[in-house]
Amino acid sequence: MDILKLLADLAETPTDLTQLASRRAALDGLRRVGAKTIAAALPLSLAALPSQAGDTRTVLDSLQLAVRLEQLQNAFYSRALTSAAGFFPADANFRSSIVKMQAHQQQHVALLTRIISSSNGDTPTLPNYDFTGSKNNTQASLFPNVFSNFDEFLRLAQLLEDTSVRAYKAIVEFLVQDNYTLQTALQLHSTEARHAARIRTMRRLRGAVVKPWPSPTDADITIAGRTAVVYATEHATTQLLPAPANTPIPFRLLPIGSGANLLTQSVPEAFDEPLAAAEVELIMGLFTY
Amino acid sequence: MQRRSFFKVAGASVAASTLVLAGCSDDPEPTPVAENVLAFSGFNSTGQPIDDGILNYAYLLTQLEAAFYLKVVAAPPADLQPGELAYLTDLRDHELIHREYLKAILGSKAYDSSAAAPLEFTFTSFTLTTRAGVWAAAQQLEDIGAAAYNGAGKLLTVTANLLALAKIASVESRHAALAHEMVQADSFGATIGADGLDDAKTPTEVFVLIQPFVPIKLSAANLPTT
Repeated sequence: MDILKLLADLAETPTDLTQLASRRAALDGLRRVGAKTIAAALPLSLAALPSQAGDTRTVLDSLQLAVRLEQLQNAFYSRALTSAAGFFPADANFRSSIVKMQAHQQQHVALLTRIISSSNGDTPTLPNYDFTGSKNNTQASLFPNVFSNFDEFLRLAQLLEDTSVRAYKAIVEFLVQDNYTLQTALQLHSTEARHAARIRTMRRLRGAVVKPWPSPTDADITIAGRTAVVYATEHATTQLLPAPANTPIPFRLLPIGSGANLLTQSVPEAFDEPLAAAEVELIMGLFTY
Repeated sequence: MQRRSFFKVAGASVAASTLVLAGCSDDPEPTPVAENVLAFSGFNSTGQPIDDGILNYAYLLTQLEAAFYLKVVAAPPADLQPGELAYLTDLRDHELIHREYLKAILGSKAYDSSAAAPLEFTFTSFTLTTRAGVWAAAQQLEDIGAAAYNGAGKLLTVTANLLALAKIASVESRHAALAHEMVQADSFGATIGADGLDDAKTPTEVFVLIQPFVPIKLSAANLPTT
């Protein structure tokens, strides 16, 4: 990604400034190593991790990002569950799934808050949310009917769940010094993936062209310059051997079968890609003010 | 990823070394001489932790799932609903890609890299002639796979390998959620427990669950536990 843009995004993140002092204090309690140190010990090529270039997040940074994302999703589903009668389809399974997802997100917030607190870190205070994307009516809405049109709600739910999957995938590398936190993050990552798949199957049941996993064949539900970042770099057609090799895996030459669609469809579907923290911030920023 | 405790495990590795397969490229068959045991090793000859064992463990899981979907798609049940064969074909393709991905990462370290033929898995315990049987079997295998990856990440020592496994882990969880939906609507979260955490299993727990499908005794004794 554009390094200057990354730096600008980081500079604009208010928590970096307001919580600097408390984070410094917490780092002593955390006994943990920044990603820069890990990168020095286990050289990670920029070619393998283009989106992580320059990212020197700590365990605490990563957990705070995760809890903010969980807080946002918890607020999103909680608000949907208070929507007017008729918002949810007649088939009770739809609402039931959203009830379950909201409960999980609430549990995730509580769990991450416990972990952060036990390390003397601060849990971020809740921002104001506007899930229409209008930032409290100061700009055009992205999802004007998000809590009155169920399909519009599902589209945003899909974008947020897929963002969560990608966000957790990106932060695990900053948690490698702590087995408990690493495994917890992987289990959270897995729950978010199940949510995302269920949201996608719900959309499909309602006629959308979408698969349970991100596919180049999915109908595009993003807006250029706004929500497009959710799937930017997700449909990678090439996978590299892990560092230090970093050479492309020649899927076409391997005994996989599958015809013409192997590289354009099956390979992108078979892998979920990480999304760097700065991009996750951009997405969260669309719905907070 | 803690390395503190490997010494005590390294002893076990040496004691059981005659049974170790992973990395023994001069073994002509994936069957050791002493007993029919497939024991992946997570430690090198000097007791240092290496990722070969866990990557081979993940490779075996992808082989198992790929073999399952190959069999199903080759002779699909007659009562599949519209769209379900396309789903099963996608699942087959994803698992084949995952299998070849891990095999490529392992290279000559793949446990069967010099075997005459790959392991042949047995799925006779499943009912593969009905859609209900196929999706129940898929749910079982995908739940095992997702839990296995959730438990395996912390056992890796190289961050690049963790990132590689994480890329396919969430796709496995998506597969599992789909299989649950095909069995019972709104059951996507059946494996999600306290704190909203999806299941995680150790290699030892996973080997117990997949042993019925694998034609050779599996042992996790030489794999890292922390």
